[in-house]
Amino acid sequence: MMKEGNSVLSKKNIVLCTAAIAILIILLFPLYWIVVTSFKFEKEIFMSPPTLFPQAINTASYYAQLESGDFNMFRAFGNSAIISVTTMIIAIVLAVPASYGLARYKFKGKKLIILSFLVTQMLPVSVALTPLFILFKNMKVINTLVAPILADATIGIPFSILILRTYFESIPKELDEAARIDGCNRFETFIRIFVPIAFPGVIVCGVFSFLYAWGDLAYALTFIGKQTLRPITAGIFNFMGQYGTKWSYICAFGVVTIIPVVLIFIFMQKYIISGLTAGAVKG
Amino acid sequence: MKKIKEFFQHDNIGYLFVMPALIYMLVFNGYPIIRNIILSFQDVTVKTINLAHKQFIGFENYITLFKDPVLSKSIINTLLFTICCLIVQFLIGFALALLFNNKFSVAKPIRGILMIPWMIPITITALIFRFMFASNVGIVNEALQLLGVIDKPIDWLLQPGTAMFALVAANVWIGIPFNMILLTTGLTTISEELYESASIDGASRYQKFSYITLPLLRPAIENVLILGFIYTFKVFDLVYVMTNGGPVNATQVLSTYSYKLSFELFEYSQGATVANILFVILFIVSLLYLKFTYQEEEA
Repeated sequence: MMKEGNSVLSKKNIVLCTAAIAILIILLFPLYWIVVTSFKFEKEIFMSPPTLFPQAINTASYYAQLESGDFNMFRAFGNSAIISVTTMIIAIVLAVPASYGLARYKFKGKKLIILSFLVTQMLPVSVALTPLFILFKNMKVINTLVAPILADATIGIPFSILILRTYFESIPKELDEAARIDGCNRFETFIRIFVPIAFPGVIVCGVFSFLYAWGDLAYALTFIGKQTLRPITAGIFNFMGQYGTKWSYICAFGVVTIIPVVLIFIFMQKYIISGLTAGAVKG
Repeated sequence: MKKIKEFFQHDNIGYLFVMPALIYMLVFNGYPIIRNIILSFQDVTVKTINLAHKQFIGFENYITLFKDPVLSKSIINTLLFTICCLIVQFLIGFALALLFNNKFSVAKPIRGILMIPWMIPITITALIFRFMFASNVGIVNEALQLLGVIDKPIDWLLQPGTAMFALVAANVWIGIPFNMILLTTGLTTISEELYESASIDGASRYQKFSYITLPLLRPAIENVLILGFIYTFKVFDLVYVMTNGGPVNATQVLSTYSYKLSFELFEYSQGATVANILFVILFIVSLLYLKFTYQEEEA
């Protein structure tokens, strides 16, 4: 017979599960609410008391913005995707070798370099905005996607380096020697042996760099004035300024922006939690 | 050439691996920090930004701003916002971490799903809460009226006190999962045996909590509070989208005030000065944090 404590039907299990589900419903209600609102007709949104489920499903809020209109959600989504993917690639290409160097070799100034990466992680966005604006203006990349990409990568890089350093440090030293004996030089050892082993860490960095860039508002808003080039976050912000009470449209926008995040969550949950804890606990 | 080769022969090859990332960060992060400091000692506005020679005016921007009532209001608001958020999100996050530390059927999947609010873009969080706290369509007003707490709708985002409350509520929603996950990780490092032997000694649930859980969790608690302070203190998107510092600066925080000065009033130097004040505060806190973690690593 099963011990009472382990049984699915034990009193303790039922009480805890009920509590957990109640908490889930309360905390995720805001998300449910914008999904539901995005499918309501504008008239129903203003009904009192509000309906918890749409009386009639209205998909016009999604279609209207796909076609053309003042703001094209599809194009903004594409801009966001280009910005986030490019940012992610830059962050990985720069962070992977850097973290390997910091983990496997002893050289002068190493501690200072690690410390400065730690500190940049805590940098408020407002500090960099004006100087970067001037810099990008001189580089002639204002009003191009290049500007937010270059700026967004500065968030992903230090985070990725700190995460990956712990991955590379946990790989036993003997592997270097074994690879050397097999005739690999140091760059080959890095590419062919270490990168594959640290691959889960690389995914964590990719996911976070992507998410940081996907969620950015300040850089995109400041460096891109052209509506057609703005990513979806800046697009929604603009839309809200112009049509502040068109809630069905705004909610539809929001839902579309969240979809990639939820997909990433579903497929990458394990990596996200390990990344968050490792990144925050270690620095 | 030979000398260069020799230099990179052994461990110094590490420089080659680190260099690209380091240079990138120096250009796009190090340079802005320095440039921002210089900017705060100059007089750069929309009129003077294209001049080759920028006038150096010493501490004048700092003096002007410290006489500016909006700056002191922003500092107080930022502190108030940060402390309120930290307390509430820590208490709720801690309670949830303790709850999910129990073994029950749906513990792991639900704890995972609760991470989503932390992951979604803050702009979206801000618009969700703006919608929920809206005076005419907001579900918060509807619910409170239904429960009989209020008679007529409140203009949450248009009144000083309630606007701050709405901001704190939104930020706590983001902060709960963050606190929960970090404290959960801390809890898993406490060995079961400690609790078992305490039970044998006849310790009550409360005694176990205050003599085992709390002391052993102290490093994790310190971590989550300091990191939470840093992340909350530099809040920008949430305030910018939900209230833009209003009504009448009632929710103006340092980062939004800096942005307003630079990109709405085009007082670049003054904006840089406010950003610098924010930076110095965070830098000091970051150093404290590093001191904490390094002490623990060495101990």
